[in-house]
Amino acid sequence: MKNSKGWFWIFVGPVLLAFVIVVIVPMITGIYYSFTDWNGIGNDANWVGLKNYTKIFTEDKDFLNAFLFTAKFALVSLITINVIGFGLALLMTKDFKLTNFFRSIFFMPNMIGGLILGFVWQFIFTKGFDSLGKLLNWSFLRGWLADPTTGFWGLVILMSWQMSGYMMVIYIAAIENIPESSLEAAKIDGANAWQRLRYIIMPLVAPAFTVGLFLTLSNSFKLYDQNLSLTAGGPHNSTQMLAMNIYNTAFKFNKLGLAQAKAVIFLITVAVITLTQIYYSKRREVEM
Amino acid sequence: MFKSKKVLTLAIVMVLALSLVVTGCSNDAKDEKANSGNEGATTEKSGEKAEIDIFQFKVEIAKELEEAAKAYEEENPNVKINIQTVGGGDDYGAALKAAFQSGNEPDIFNVGGPQDIKDWMDKLEDLSDQPWVDKALEGVLSGATVDDKVYALPFNLEGYGFVYNKEIFKAAGIDAEKIVDFKSLEEAVKTLDKKIKDGELEEEFPLLESVFEFPAKETWITGLHTSNVALGQEFDSSIDAFNAEEVEFKYGDSLKKIIDLQADYSMHRDDKQKLNAVDYTTQAEEGIAIERVAIIQQGNWVYGLAEGVDEEVAEKLDILPIPLEGGKEDSIPVGVPMHWVVNKDSDDAVKDAAKDFLNWLYTSEKGKEYVVNEFHFIPPLTGYEDLEVEDPLGRAVSRYAEAGKTTPWVFMGYPTAWGMEGLGNNIQKYLSGEFTWEQVISESQAQWKEMR
Amino acid sequence: MEGKKKSKRGTLILTIFLAIIFLLPFYIVLTNSFKTQKGIFLNVTGLPFGKFFTLENYVNAFKELDFVHSFFNSLLITIVSTVLIVIFSSMAAWMLVRTKSKLSSFLYFLFAAAMLIPFQSVMLPLINLMGRIGFLNRGGLIFMYVGFGASLSIMLYHGFIKSIPVELEEAATIDGCNKFQIFWYIIFPMLKPITVTVSILNAMWIWNDFLLPQLVINRPESHTIPLKMFYFFGQHSKQWHLALAGLVIGMIPIIIFYILAQKHIIKGVTKGSIK
Repeated sequence: MKNSKGWFWIFVGPVLLAFVIVVIVPMITGIYYSFTDWNGIGNDANWVGLKNYTKIFTEDKDFLNAFLFTAKFALVSLITINVIGFGLALLMTKDFKLTNFFRSIFFMPNMIGGLILGFVWQFIFTKGFDSLGKLLNWSFLRGWLADPTTGFWGLVILMSWQMSGYMMVIYIAAIENIPESSLEAAKIDGANAWQRLRYIIMPLVAPAFTVGLFLTLSNSFKLYDQNLSLTAGGPHNSTQMLAMNIYNTAFKFNKLGLAQAKAVIFLITVAVITLTQIYYSKRREVEM
Repeated sequence: MFKSKKVLTLAIVMVLALSLVVTGCSNDAKDEKANSGNEGATTEKSGEKAEIDIFQFKVEIAKELEEAAKAYEEENPNVKINIQTVGGGDDYGAALKAAFQSGNEPDIFNVGGPQDIKDWMDKLEDLSDQPWVDKALEGVLSGATVDDKVYALPFNLEGYGFVYNKEIFKAAGIDAEKIVDFKSLEEAVKTLDKKIKDGELEEEFPLLESVFEFPAKETWITGLHTSNVALGQEFDSSIDAFNAEEVEFKYGDSLKKIIDLQADYSMHRDDKQKLNAVDYTTQAEEGIAIERVAIIQQGNWVYGLAEGVDEEVAEKLDILPIPLEGGKEDSIPVGVPMHWVVNKDSDDAVKDAAKDFLNWLYTSEKGKEYVVNEFHFIPPLTGYEDLEVEDPLGRAVSRYAEAGKTTPWVFMGYPTAWGMEGLGNNIQKYLSGEFTWEQVISESQAQWKEMR
Repeated sequence: MEGKKKSKRGTLILTIFLAIIFLLPFYIVLTNSFKTQKGIFLNVTGLPFGKFFTLENYVNAFKELDFVHSFFNSLLITIVSTVLIVIFSSMAAWMLVRTKSKLSSFLYFLFAAAMLIPFQSVMLPLINLMGRIGFLNRGGLIFMYVGFGASLSIMLYHGFIKSIPVELEEAATIDGCNKFQIFWYIIFPMLKPITVTVSILNAMWIWNDFLLPQLVINRPESHTIPLKMFYFFGQHSKQWHLALAGLVIGMIPIIIFYILAQKHIIKGVTKGSIK
């Protein structure tokens, strides 16, 4: 094990370098700006101490609303996306013809960028749902995206549609990696399909669950493109999510300092949530 | 065997890592600039070689502006113009800030109204001595002037009102000439509505389903344009609005009537909350352009959209005044949507070239032709008498302007984002029943005060 | 036997049903890309028919996107970035898994936590820094993709590598292999399924990315497909007919890539090597 420190840096170094320059340094600069009144133009940022932070907690109720909305959205889509994604992965690892073809179909939503995707779904919700509602006389299909509730579910549906294929790919990789022999052995021992799923597949896929849950959570919290193009935060900011609130503060209100402070609060909160999640799933990984 | 492979692998990794560093370090922009500086030392004009970087936001004129720049380059071989257009609609502000942060500062860029000018003041070149300043139409420079110095060249003039389909009016037997105030407009709308309901117009206009379409989702339409109808008469100019500590909503009730009229005679009249999901596309391309509705509150820019969908319909369009009861009722708001500015920190030679290009574009014979015939702009300057705006909506705006029947655009002087994020959202709440009109007014007043 | 056949048929029917739901939005994209502007706005959900049917959108979109050129730019940036991400992330992830130290777990959590940073909040400082070190070009863009792609890729590799028994490596170490040899000849081939996944996910994201190239690439001749795409969306106008056609053209390469790539996620790659 001599020289293992050197090997460590050779392997980790290159990507760490890029990562530090591209992510960490700008983030630290950003944290610095959160204590200033910088407007994003020019370089005259004055130190204002904790003023931005106190402002967020005392005056900015839109930020709180965006936070709660985002949290609600993240929780619901976390469930829908992973349930659908894992289900698809199970289906797609069964032996039957055309799996490759179907896998491609389920993954296809990811091939369109978020902005365009939102516009397409806007068509579907406002026009498609409306004509379907007219046809079937189901009033709940009409006037989608016009109120906070349908705006919320619109976002959930859009994201489930898009991201479950993504999760499927991750879960497929994990399921494919399960040694055939363990499943065979279980079959011979008389385990039924459910038991095999519960006691063989799930535990072995557990690391992928950790990743999958984390990804959905962080993606839901960071969601911007789809939010912008589907509802643009409307009606009256009721479907505005965190990233959009931060973006608008920075570039529409020209309050970069305040926006950076929001980003810091956001980061800390989400880090606490997701790291807790990782911690618990990791413990479960061991137990299972 | 392992040994040689080890060397090979190491080599590959090193090359990759190295190539990353090398490609990263060569800044092609800078290289090219340096190169182009060495070439072309022999040009007829004695001036230095200048390269102008333009950073502009109007996708609609991107190609035409390139062509104009080429024409200019032909006349001035020592100037090279690079145009970067930011696509995607409203991300220009962010992209512009990023461009400045990156150190690749553009030499010519765009700013909106007084707030923008104030924000970017440190970067703006004083343009007061430019030849086009004297040619400016009355009042168009007000948004570009600070302490009697002119900092920006207006893009163009734009006007909005109630864009309507003349043929539908004719078929319904309504004389548009007689619509000069709110009462006569309301009358006409009611007549039209009745005829649509009774199916009298069905044969000629099979898709026609309502008088108006009101896109409350687009807060720039409600929060900026609609509100400007009232506030454009409360304040004299965008500067005046910009300096106002408070907003009174002097014509608040009349504004309510204009909003109600559009909402009550739209497709979703029975459930007005649904208007909050109606967007610009539904109003313009999927509304007036396919003759699904007869009137929309929009500006001369919708001509291009309507033309793309159906040229014949586009030719049928004209503009009615937006009558503000108790105020000027026969007018439309006309204003300058955007300005060109020159970066103060660019090299002198580049600055001179940039100013000369803008001047050429708006005052030379060739440039003027681009402005009117290619960009389809309504010129903000005099000296365009022999060039006629071609499209019917542009002509309509010119008609109002010539008759003096205009009110100013003051929404550029609203507190940053107040119009769209404040008032626009409050109007949505009004439509969904969450707010009464009084609440819209009081909440918006409070927001104005807070944001100032 | 009967039951098995039945369940197989049930699975197939369920899959087809789900596939149809997943494809519905594509129906909207595809059918409308063959309609004239007016055709789109008259009837979004219908099939393109009669005088509203047109192929011109594709011709025009192809021209306006400057497709050959921007396709090459997109391809170059996507491929180089993806390859670099795969190589460097897999290396780093393996080291992080196999090194049991505080530093190692700290770095892993740092990479993971960075996934939570909304891009908009590092945008301006990032561009400022990149401008100063002369990275605002394609090379710099690729560098940034490596930085931004690292988090997700390392997480995925990390999770996968943990399931590979360490005994294999120990055997190789005894045989006198050094770390590089172990990684390239023993580990990396075993990572194939996750490598394919990582490549797909990164390629997809980079191919479609708009904001970062828009900030970084300021020369029209280096524009990627998404950058050109947004010329269809103006201040007052959205040219849906061209945008949808452009979307379809832009999607074809990535679909082909996906179909080719996922053939390599072969069942039981690790079967032979684990005992």
